[in-house]
Order: sequence, then C-alpha cells, then structure tokens
Amino acid sequence: MDHQGHSQNPSMGVVGSGAQLAYGSNPYQPGQITGPPGSVVTSVGTIQSTPAGAQLGQHQLAYQHIHQQQQHQLQQQLQQFWSNQYQEIEKVTDFKNHSLPLARIKKIMKADEDVRMISAEAPVIFARACEMFILELTLRSWNHTEENKRRTLQKNDIAAAITRTDIFDFLVDIVPREDLKDEVLASIPRGTMPVAGPADALPYCYMPPQHASQVGAAGVIMGKPVMDPNMYAQQSHPYMAPQMWPQPPDQRQSSPEH
Amino acid sequence: MADSDNDSGGAHNGGKGSEMSPREQDRFLPIANVSRIMKKALPANAKISKDAKETVQECVSEFISFITGEASDKCQREKRKTINGDDLLWAMTTLGFEDYVEPLKGYLQRFREMEGEKTVAARDKDAPPLTNATNSAYESANYAAAAAVPGGIMMHQGHVYGSAGFHQVAGGAIKGGPAYPGPGSNAGRPR
Repeated sequence: MDHQGHSQNPSMGVVGSGAQLAYGSNPYQPGQITGPPGSVVTSVGTIQSTPAGAQLGQHQLAYQHIHQQQQHQLQQQLQQFWSNQYQEIEKVTDFKNHSLPLARIKKIMKADEDVRMISAEAPVIFARACEMFILELTLRSWNHTEENKRRTLQKNDIAAAITRTDIFDFLVDIVPREDLKDEVLASIPRGTMPVAGPADALPYCYMPPQHASQVGAAGVIMGKPVMDPNMYAQQSHPYMAPQMWPQPPDQRQSSPEH
Repeated sequence: MADSDNDSGGAHNGGKGSEMSPREQDRFLPIANVSRIMKKALPANAKISKDAKETVQECVSEFISFITGEASDKCQREKRKTINGDDLLWAMTTLGFEDYVEPLKGYLQRFREMEGEKTVAARDKDAPPLTNATNSAYESANYAAAAAVPGGIMMHQGHVYGSAGFHQVAGGAIKGGPAYPGPGSNAGRPR
C-alpha cells in the first residue's frame, strides 16, 4: 500500500509534498522531533515573527526555560504510550470485543454523503484508531491540567492540547474561542513574569484576537481556515514544539469543495 | 466543518425514512465508552468534567469524518466504491497520524487472517476455498462474494456485526447501485 501512496504523489503536488514530509517522520516518536517539519517550521516562524521578532524571541526563551521539564515529561509519556499501544495491539486475538461500537462508527462514516460502501474491516480499524486518538488527546490535555495544578480535566485543557498539537488542527472549530483565549491568557502571564512586567504581556495577548477579527471582517469564508493555522503557529512557537504541517490546512480547504 | 458534518449527518439520517428519527447521540460515540478510554490515560485520582467528555466525543466524530473524507477522496480518484482498511491507513499517514499507522498495520493483517478463515468456511459450499488470506485474496474474496452471491456483502458484514453482538445489517443486499448503497446499520448497544 505504500506503493499506492507513492503513485499518488505525482498527480497531486500538494498531497505529494505533505506525504513526503509525513513519510520522513519517525513513527515511534512524536512528530515534533522530526527534521523536515522542523525546517519548514523554522521558515514559517521566521516569516511570522517578523513584526514582533523581539517579543517572540523573549517569550520563546522564557517558555523554553519554564516548560522544558514539563515537555520532557510529556515526551516520555507519549513515547511510553506508543510503545504500550504496539504491545497491546500485538496481544489482541479477539476481534469481537471492541471498546467502541462498530455500528456507530459506521454511521458516523456514512454521514459524509460521498462515502458509498465501507468494507467490514474499516470500522474495526477505526475502533482501534479512535481509542489511540482519545488516549493521545487525553494525555496531552492532562499535561495542561497539571500545569494549572488541578486534578479535574476540563474543556479548556482539551482546547490547550488542540492548540499545541499540529495534527489536531482540524479540531480548532470544535472548541470555542473563549477556551482558546483562556489558553493564551493562562500561559503568557506566567511566562512573562520571570522576564518582564505584565505590560509586555498585554500587547501580545491582544494581537491574535485582532488578527482573527480582521479576517472575520474581510468576510472571506475560506480565509478563516487559512489564518487560523498561522495564528496558532504563532502561539505554538513559544512552546518549543512549533510544528507546522503544510498539508492539514490544504486538506481542510479541499474538503468543503467536495 | 463541524456544522457541515452535523447538517449532513442529520440529512442522511432523515433520508433513511421514518424508521429512525435523527438523534443527537447518533452523531457521537457513546460517552460511557469515551469516558472509560479517557480514564486509561489518566492517574487514578484524576477527575474528568462532563463538558470535557462531551468535547472529546465531538473530537472523535470529527476525527472519523476527517480520515474518512480523505480516504473517500482517494477511492473516488481511483474509481473504487468501497473504503477499506488500507485506505484509512493511507489517509492517516497523509493527515499526519503516522504514529497510529504502524500498530494498526499488524492489527489489520491479523484481522484479515481471521476474516480469511471465516470467509473460507462461509464459502465452502459455494466456491473453492481460499488458500491464503493475503491482501489480493481478500480483495478477490470481497468482489467474488459480491458478484457470485447478491447477499455476499451483507452476509460478510453480518459476520462482523453479529459476532460483535450488534444487530445484523437491515434491508436488502447491496447491488452496487449508483444511488444509495442501502440503509445503514441499526444503532449498536454501547458497552
């Protein structure tokens, strides 16, 4: 099937480009560590940070210092998570018991009117994939809960995980703005305190909403998905793992057209 | 995207007739299952708020639609009508979820091996038995079943859902018509 994947690349440049980046990733480590996406992010970061390079530089240094230990812990947890997943799935011999109902998965798949026929194996694969997705999303969300010294996982923790993880870009519309704003406000003041006063934090806080407002004012429907990744890229930059996948935004754009 | 999915889902359910009225729950996986899985990723003394569980429910449905949409596009480009496991794995790789693909490859392979055994047993009286459960053999079995026995696909799907404790697929056999492939499955019981 990898062969099929390769054969698809020449026919669509964008998909091919994204696929190449994806193939370059190490399957056993979070994508944040891979080289090619890093170089892409560097380029994007440079362009994005031109207006406020100094500010972003300061925040980046601060966040590197503050979150280094936490991110290291998260990376370890994720590596252990993937290792456990591989071992767990190796043990599975009974395909009759699933943690998620196959009929419901199939119904969700068929909500897309373009979807015609679904092989029996597809919901089985999705049952497993969704379990991994829920586990990863929950693990990353809990990281934010602990940062705020709470023991109850809340909606804004999920919003934070979505903001910080590039492969979750397609979920940005699920969480409302207020939860994203909480994420921005919650992170920046703590980050700036060791370095500078609150005065510096305010301008940074208000830039993203204004940016989004401008996009909204323009009235371009398709423009919004394009801008959101850029805004999130800016925000994710300080967290040391600012990985930008060129393809997800393109895919999201192309989906509505079909 | 979420709004579009919701509308599409509602229309789809409505289109199936008065048998089932559109339900909010049908668009999401059961919150009990989602909650149970979430707890496996958390410490024992962790708590999960209700709105966090509901948000993850929405995220999972979006994940399914996201991957399915990409896989469906690929099938259309290749002029195939059936989305299979390999299409989903390809879509996950393309959309950045390559970490998921490696564990799932082995999972899919072993599932097909088991299905191959079942297919051989099921087809014992109708067709020569398959010697291997390779990808090509599986594909051939799929199409052969569809061609030879009109109810082949339904029977095949029934195996999985029946063995999983869910209701059999309702309605008639799928004839590969250009319009509707037939009514969807009845809602399964959450575990």
